[in-house]
Amino acid sequence: MHILITSARHELSAALADHLAQSHDIRLTERTHVETTHEFVLSGLGHDRSTNLLTRGMDAIIHAVEPLPDEDVSSQLDSATRRTYNLLMAAAEESVPQVILLSTLELMADYPAGYRVDERWRPLPSTHPPTLTKHLAEQVGREFAREGSLAIKILRLGETSAKTIAVAVDEALAEPALLATKHRSHEEGGAETWSITHVGERT
Amino acid sequence: MNVLILGGAGMLGPYVARELAPAHNLRITDVNPPEEDLPGEFLLLDVSDLDCVVSAAEGMDAIVNLSVLRRDRKIAWDVSTRGCYNMMQAAVTHGISRVINTGPHYTVAGRHITEILDFDIGPDIPPQPGTNLYAITKSIGLEICRVFTEHHDISVQHYLFYNFKDPAAIQPGERYAPYVISWENSAEVFTLGLDIDLNALPSRHEVFYVFADMPHGNFSNEKTKRILGFKPRRDVETLWK
Repeated sequence: MHILITSARHELSAALADHLAQSHDIRLTERTHVETTHEFVLSGLGHDRSTNLLTRGMDAIIHAVEPLPDEDVSSQLDSATRRTYNLLMAAAEESVPQVILLSTLELMADYPAGYRVDERWRPLPSTHPPTLTKHLAEQVGREFAREGSLAIKILRLGETSAKTIAVAVDEALAEPALLATKHRSHEEGGAETWSITHVGERT
Repeated sequence: MNVLILGGAGMLGPYVARELAPAHNLRITDVNPPEEDLPGEFLLLDVSDLDCVVSAAEGMDAIVNLSVLRRDRKIAWDVSTRGCYNMMQAAVTHGISRVINTGPHYTVAGRHITEILDFDIGPDIPPQPGTNLYAITKSIGLEICRVFTEHHDISVQHYLFYNFKDPAAIQPGERYAPYVISWENSAEVFTLGLDIDLNALPSRHEVFYVFADMPHGNFSNEKTKRILGFKPRRDVETLWK
């Protein structure tokens, strides 16, 4: 598969790139230049043709939604919302079959300890940027899934190992990712365009 | 009450300013200078500038956000989404508990999902804006406000509009939107929102559709009348009579 991974500067994206490169063609992207052994494309994920070219021919996108070092809150919010929208719009226009959005289990941290919180539960984001930005990126992705223009898989990462995250990404990539078939209900075999998976433990 | 109005020099702002001025001290801001004299103090301010919004809110008792940018793929997010974050941070910083935000009807209802198919559409539905730029930027802004109300003692009223009319300019037989209100009537809801006891609101985050009574029943303004005491004027009825 041809896989695009965003937030190349972040250690999670770098680790996933190294792992997935064993069996896939990897393209990394970031808003600032990053030294890497993988293919790298500098992109601000703007509303222009370059974002379409970035996503063209990809079989999957892994959108990590991570801030740059010392990035201020306004820029973090801009990245999680506007740049996510631009990326997903380009992906939809280029018919990318699936997008994996890396989120956080911090969204469920306010539920009492001991509750068996699962993916059906409502997220309880705080107003702190690391959590709020992930939540807002999920919200942007949800609307593309609602319209059936993209298949979005949310992986909410909690306390876990890099190996467990890699396995979760492998499994998400391996699942069939078909765009919703118009006029077919789920009972008739219409594909899901929105899924959430909790990975690891919430703190 | 000291009231900060963000985006006050746009199309709706002057009507709201004239409505509120007799009873409130206004600090009106906009990224553009007003085209007419507005009551109160005026500041040039970009709502996407966090520090400027926080500074402008000092000494205020309430914030009214009328800012809007519909089509530009960057500024729409700057204004409609990050503007809400900045407004809520300003409210937290200065202990302002009353916020009124505005937007289009499809902030919650979605542009193509319900209005063509359904009737009696009320504002208390899970937001489903779709990917339309105006709708999703406003809807994510609404979600930011909601999250802040979950963690801070701030009450946010969202007033959602669809189409504004000057009653004197209505042409016989003209097509009209599923919900409509005159500019003057729309401004009156802001007085109600500033006057209402916040404890009388069902929650700290409430959404209202603001429009005249329209007989086709596409949308419902019942909640706005019941909770805020809104009195729709009968000044746009020539649209359907």
